[in-house]
Amino acid sequence: MTIRALWIISQEKGENVSIRFSRRFSTVEHRAKSLAGSSYVAVPEESTVLQLLLTELGLSDPDKAYVALRDDCLHRPRSPALELRVDGPGKGILWPMLAISQGPLILACLPLVDVPPEPRPPLASLLSVSQGLTLLAGLQTFLLGSGSKPDGEGLVSRLAMLPSVLLQVCPLGTPLDVPLLGPPATPTLPASAGNQKQPAWKTGLHRGRAVVNVALTETVRSMQYGNRSRQDLWDVFGTVTCKCEVEGVLPNVMVTLSLPPNGSPLQDILVHPCVTSLDSSILTASSVDNCDGSAFSGPYKFPFSPPLEPFRLCSYTSQVPVPPILGSYQLREEENQVHVSVTLKLHESVKNSFEYCEAHLPFFNRDQMGVAEVKVSYGQLDVSKEKNLLVWVLGQKFPKSLEVTMEGKISFSGPTKGPADPLCTGLTAYIKLYFKVPDMTLSGCCVDQHSVQVYSSAKPRIATSRELTSKDYFIWNSTGTAPVASGQTMM
Amino acid sequence: MMAANWAERISAFSRSPSRFLSGTTAEAFLAELLRELRDDRASYSVKVLLLSPLCEHPALLCPSDSVGEETALELMSVFVQCPPKFVAFRCHLLLALTSVLICTSCVSGRSRGSQDFLDLLLEIVQDTSDLHSDGTLRSVCATACDCLRELEACCPGLLSQRLELLAGRRQLESSRLHQPFAALHTLALRNAVYQLTQEKGAGAEHLKALLGGITSVAWEADQDSGLMNNKDSAILASLILGPMGVVPTLQTGPDCKELRSVLSSLLEESYLLTPLCQAALLHRLTEVVAMVPGIPPAIFRAQLLRLLGTSEACLLHSTLLMKCAFTDSLFSAEDEAFMLKRLVVLSQHPRLSTHEKLFYLDCILHFPENRPISSGDETLPVLLTPRLASALAPTVFNDSATLLSRFNLLCLVHLEEGEEAEEGQGLEYLHDHLTALLHIVENGGSREIVVTFFRAAFLFLFYFNHVERYSTSLTEQLCKLYLHHTNLAPHLINLADQTQDRLPESDWAVGLLTAVQRVITSITQLNPKDLKWHLKMLVRVAEEGEIPQTSTLSFLSRVITPSFSSLCESGDWRQGNGLLAVCRRLLLHPSLDSLLIPLADILQHLARCYRDTDIQDHARLYYTLLTTLSREKLAGVMKQGATNGERQVKKRSLSSLMSEGEGLTSLLTIHQTERAIFRLTEAQSEPRQESKEGDFDENKVEKCPDEANAALEAYRAQFNDPSFASELTLKYQLAHIDSHDSRFDQLFSIRLHFSLTDDHYEKLQDISVPCLFREKPSPTVKLRLKPRRPYPTTLHASAIVTTQDGLSWHTAVPDVHVAFEQTFMLLPSPPSWGEGGRLSVFEGLWEDICSENGESAISLFCCQLKEAALNALVETHFLPYLVSDPSNKEEFKLLLFLPPQCHILLKISSKEDAVHFSIATDNWLLLPHIGSYLLTITASEEDPPS
Repeated sequence: MTIRALWIISQEKGENVSIRFSRRFSTVEHRAKSLAGSSYVAVPEESTVLQLLLTELGLSDPDKAYVALRDDCLHRPRSPALELRVDGPGKGILWPMLAISQGPLILACLPLVDVPPEPRPPLASLLSVSQGLTLLAGLQTFLLGSGSKPDGEGLVSRLAMLPSVLLQVCPLGTPLDVPLLGPPATPTLPASAGNQKQPAWKTGLHRGRAVVNVALTETVRSMQYGNRSRQDLWDVFGTVTCKCEVEGVLPNVMVTLSLPPNGSPLQDILVHPCVTSLDSSILTASSVDNCDGSAFSGPYKFPFSPPLEPFRLCSYTSQVPVPPILGSYQLREEENQVHVSVTLKLHESVKNSFEYCEAHLPFFNRDQMGVAEVKVSYGQLDVSKEKNLLVWVLGQKFPKSLEVTMEGKISFSGPTKGPADPLCTGLTAYIKLYFKVPDMTLSGCCVDQHSVQVYSSAKPRIATSRELTSKDYFIWNSTGTAPVASGQTMM
Repeated sequence: MMAANWAERISAFSRSPSRFLSGTTAEAFLAELLRELRDDRASYSVKVLLLSPLCEHPALLCPSDSVGEETALELMSVFVQCPPKFVAFRCHLLLALTSVLICTSCVSGRSRGSQDFLDLLLEIVQDTSDLHSDGTLRSVCATACDCLRELEACCPGLLSQRLELLAGRRQLESSRLHQPFAALHTLALRNAVYQLTQEKGAGAEHLKALLGGITSVAWEADQDSGLMNNKDSAILASLILGPMGVVPTLQTGPDCKELRSVLSSLLEESYLLTPLCQAALLHRLTEVVAMVPGIPPAIFRAQLLRLLGTSEACLLHSTLLMKCAFTDSLFSAEDEAFMLKRLVVLSQHPRLSTHEKLFYLDCILHFPENRPISSGDETLPVLLTPRLASALAPTVFNDSATLLSRFNLLCLVHLEEGEEAEEGQGLEYLHDHLTALLHIVENGGSREIVVTFFRAAFLFLFYFNHVERYSTSLTEQLCKLYLHHTNLAPHLINLADQTQDRLPESDWAVGLLTAVQRVITSITQLNPKDLKWHLKMLVRVAEEGEIPQTSTLSFLSRVITPSFSSLCESGDWRQGNGLLAVCRRLLLHPSLDSLLIPLADILQHLARCYRDTDIQDHARLYYTLLTTLSREKLAGVMKQGATNGERQVKKRSLSSLMSEGEGLTSLLTIHQTERAIFRLTEAQSEPRQESKEGDFDENKVEKCPDEANAALEAYRAQFNDPSFASELTLKYQLAHIDSHDSRFDQLFSIRLHFSLTDDHYEKLQDISVPCLFREKPSPTVKLRLKPRRPYPTTLHASAIVTTQDGLSWHTAVPDVHVAFEQTFMLLPSPPSWGEGGRLSVFEGLWEDICSENGESAISLFCCQLKEAALNALVETHFLPYLVSDPSNKEEFKLLLFLPPQCHILLKISSKEDAVHFSIATDNWLLLPHIGSYLLTITASEEDPPS
């Protein structure tokens, strides 16, 4: 349950690659040697590791179309556990090299294989694999922040902090924790709390008025084909985020999620490790199961003792009967122009009060847009000829009829080529919707302010909120072929 | 100063210890480190840095146990003398000590130093005086625990006599320190129990004594507990191996309430640990319970629901390992079904990261079933029905890794279906998915998609090559794909190679190659770009004895016919070699007898008509071999060169034919020089002007318009011709590098090849130089660069040359650097305009740039320069670009043209405080380059050599 070495690499699409930080854990390496016996492969020096890793990730030689070592069809890099084929005197295979990458950073570590190395054990038999992944993800968040866009200076200063961070979270190669994101809390003393032990994941104690914030965010995804032979798809997933400032070493808080009558049960529930106990009925509903009408549908109680920092209390998925916005999209090729016809319909159950709502119609693999004679029944249309993109801004509200349409003709006669996309050729085209509705959820799930219980002396201030956002909300042109987005069609 | 130096040296060491130590010795470096660590003047932040080589490579710095021992004693004295407030340094020092002692086997040899260190650590962890003070000692205590844990991990049993002490400390501790104690305690407990399982006759009594700390108290140097010397590494290994693993057990009977109470207390408090530590603790306790049958696995039950619902990968993973260890003694069949469903859900949960999902996907393939039917690599759990697995079907929206993992899993799921019905919906889906990927590739998908598609295709064939309907359709689709994307030839060849290797009983690869041959040979209009790939494919096709080669030959003979392609006239060496490679392969083909005449015709034609001597020579040789050697002899000769080694090797040598003994291989092979033999150096040249001789037509003499705007307009009109002034010709001298290898003194037929390192320039043509002699003046090479953006760049270069003895060599040529100032050109104004015209353009441009924003920019550069120096500077660097009156020293106006269509305008004037360079350019991206150029040239004028 330890790792032999750790590397942090920065790169831009396989170029300007450099190792920004590395750490080898010599005592673990010592154990690796005696565990592996004759099949021991030493960790090579930095530059070799880097080269092998890039090859395995398909990032080496970015300017060459085919490199046998990198592109062999037999070899399937089994991300996230790669094998590095070390050549030369210390020949052999280094496995399992864990690597995760986000933005410009690649983080990699090599866990110790603490079971007999031959034949190669399954990944699942090595606890150090999931631990290594957790550590890498934690380091990644620490280095890049929660957004994927890093700022150069911030990255440099955080890299400089790594030696002291690793002393806390991974001394001698054993991952103990993930790095704290904020500044380290001043060590507070257990306020003579008797024999109540302070959780190791709680860096200090809160003093002052109790405040509990519970935010429920639901995200809806959809693939609409407008085609009888192809079933439309949509799904919803939700996340409950909490920020609790409550006094005490191990205070108890309970958050209850409830559904409206007839609401379909929450599925695939995942909870934060600070949740103290779970009722088995909460975990039974699953999206891969046949939906069973008699399934448990709440209330969902989550008793927990909160950490100091904001955290994701739980997440779930849900199957709702209708998509919030039903669209139809039709393109017809007419000589040198394309005839566009779009209808979007807001479902009556959805609150008609958006923070924003936009429909994007990109056109790929065509010449640049020439004339666009497009009329919308509502809202405002922005035409970006350079990007071959129509942006239909619907704003905060749908009209009373809850239905909006777009109709028109676009010619693509510009002198240059517009953007390309290998997926969207011919009449394969989509509309992507971006919207956010405050104060509602699609599943109907809610956290009642009064249902939040804090077992402490002072009366806490409790705030709850909810919202619905879209992600990957596609409406495909029904006159073209559209890509399959789910294996459900198989059944 | 010193600190910076140390930081640099330490990072150099960790980048490459071997290279670093080649400049010094380990001994000297270690001595330096220790000296600096003892030095009171050095800051503690530097000292922390100094410890990292000792932590990371202790064995390298302390090659023997005695050096390790001495180093440890030194470090311990540093520790004792270090003021307590330098917490971070003290912690790192403990880590360094642990690393040195473990890696030099001082601990396993129980040296004096390691005992002292152990005592020191135990003293630190037992010191509770800090408990109510400011907490600085607490981090040192936590690190000491970590060090003890590492010592116990590397030297199992070391703390087996201290279990009671550790248990006590853990229970007492209410600060976050209880976590390191819990981790230490569990590991020591696990190792102690393991130790007991290895002792004959050990039972409940021994266990009780161990937990109560009743046995002999301290770890003595002469005590031999058996395991300390145990060379067997089994104790280091995890005991949870699944159904096939055997766990050593300790027979205690049902009476082991002491152990049970320890375990319960650890489990109860496990919630207080971080998920990572919790997972490790659960794993260790799983091992303990597995070793002691007296403890029922149900002891974990209270934790299970919490663990199964968790979002933390490592916690769920430890639960899976628990299932692996206890199977149905802890998990019912219902639990099992639930866990598998849970894994399927987690493998595609929108809230989890890609790497977590991939990990869970892998866990499904190695799901620890209660009653496994078979064991081995990647077997599907029985409960994973096609219906359940459909949630994991790959889609084109997946990233490559996910797509391939899911594709593989679904192939396994539908494997049986394919065998039975050949009509399965699942198989249909997979085939459709593959087709969808193929369409993306067809429509210009990225390199990553291309590779992913071929990997998916291989998987599909690997599992379903027997389902003819699909494998035939795949062949057709691939042929179509190849026709439109001939550059995929290496991928197709690779796919053919691998399917042939992995599926020896299938003839799919031969089918594919036959189809590709048909496609290539029936081409009616040849695109010259594609020929290289066609030839590559045909070489591979010719490797198959079963495939008739007549059509290949008729294709070759068409290729060399002038009416079909201009190949022979072009004399392209590479293409010629491609042709010869096919012929060479055909010489080996079993059906050679029937191919003899057409093949001989082709070779003869090449030998006569191909406009490249090298190709002619080779063709003649093959012709001679073909027509003079008997069939058997030819096969014998050819096979020696061709069948040795792997396919890879065969392809690399372009013309390898004979064994070395025949002395021919070296003639026919391209050799690689060890180092560069010549380089390109910039030739001093006149300012460049794009001039096409003859362009200057007397009859069309135009006078330059007087007015600036009109001049500018007329000037700009010239660019309506896109090729106008778009090229930059740089002159280089090709000269030997001083190395005395007389073989390369005289070189012939030099072909220089350049590749770009960025996309600022268009691709360069190869350049031929007839010869290069060491003693003769070096030839001039003209590089014609076509900039997209006139930035400085570096070109990689290589060359193929022939030496006097007739050998061909490939050699690297040192990079050619194109400096920014090398892109400067004179303004390409009509020659008839003269000075005045250029000044008008200058004025027009200046006004233009100042008034519009877009791409243009104006800027100011100032520096201190004496008048004379300024004049000298203009004289040396800018004279040709001067558009103002040279006698006017008040203000110089310079106009620089940079192809394709950029301008830099400079007004240089001396003001009282400094010289001002007013810069205007119609491409603001050039500003940094201009700035650094001005900085360089002014700096050299500022301090003239006195």
